[in-house]
Amino acid sequence: TWGGFYVVGAYKMSDSAESPTETQKEEIHPPPDDSATNDDKKKIDVLLKAVGDTPIMKTKKWAVDKGRTVQSLAQFISRFLKLDATEQLFIYVNQSFAPSPDQEVGVLFDCFGSDGKLVLHYCKSQAWG
Amino acid sequence: MADDKDVLRDVWFGRIPTCFTLNPDEVTEREAEPYYLLLPRVSYLPLVTDKNFPDVDLLHCPSNSVVEAHFMSSIKEADALKHKSQVVNDMQKKDHKQLWMGLQNDKFDQFWAMNRKLMEYPTEEGGFRYIPFRIYQTTSDRPFIQKLFRPVSTEGNPHTLFDLLKEMCPDALTKDGEEKRFQVVIHGIEPLLETPLQWLSEHLSHPDNFLHICIIPTPTD
Repeated sequence: TWGGFYVVGAYKMSDSAESPTETQKEEIHPPPDDSATNDDKKKIDVLLKAVGDTPIMKTKKWAVDKGRTVQSLAQFISRFLKLDATEQLFIYVNQSFAPSPDQEVGVLFDCFGSDGKLVLHYCKSQAWG
Repeated sequence: MADDKDVLRDVWFGRIPTCFTLNPDEVTEREAEPYYLLLPRVSYLPLVTDKNFPDVDLLHCPSNSVVEAHFMSSIKEADALKHKSQVVNDMQKKDHKQLWMGLQNDKFDQFWAMNRKLMEYPTEEGGFRYIPFRIYQTTSDRPFIQKLFRPVSTEGNPHTLFDLLKEMCPDALTKDGEEKRFQVVIHGIEPLLETPLQWLSEHLSHPDNFLHICIIPTPTD
């Protein structure tokens, strides 16, 4: 009999993670033509929105690697906003749920993206439970 | 239907006989004996293994609340797919807590008293908006496949497990005349590929409301 465990993804703190590339505010970066061979090389467009009194990102639109995790993106936002290392950052999809930190942004885009982008809200405190 | 409700119980009370052995690289004063546990299929490893358990380095879960947070985020993500989050958002915080406590304490009735709400849908729709699923392939680099997929076709026909696989990982399906290379496993069994996906979602989902589907190479023993 095959048996399996429901494994919760590990909280990996990766400081050497590459930063997402900044797109132009006006236009959306089209994916390169040769990216079809490797899904992970593709980037998706993410729009970051601040909640409550959380500082607003000067640049809101980012092209992010599909394979990038929510945790990695949260760390990037924290560093960009120069938040304290002890301060938590919560990320939300559809203003309704906080995805698991090990979830890939590409999957979130496929399932919850609209108008060619994934809108993520970020907050220093729990906004939607 | 009485038979369908029995499926919910069978899934909930499924167990996996497990044997943990100490890594041979670990040096101990006396020989470490293997550790046996009957693990509930639907539970999480940190909830089941006690504090004296030899360190299992699969994940970092410093407390139960981390597991709870993960569980609730899965429930909410599933409902975002099924009901645009309307059902889970209409529930009170104590209802969410009841889902978790039911799972944590292995209380089927307590859990399903709440979970049944997440399994409802408008009759005229014929099913959920999208089916929450994850397909795991041992032969793939990706952690899993998760995409949008409707339980009913545009013509109004129920989609089956076969339809899902054909769309998401057609290589897992056996072509005519070929030997069967892969098993499609949910909760340790191979459901018939013609099973309606909506039915699978309602009855064979894990407590987190996701259908976790494993594609494994057919054993050659």
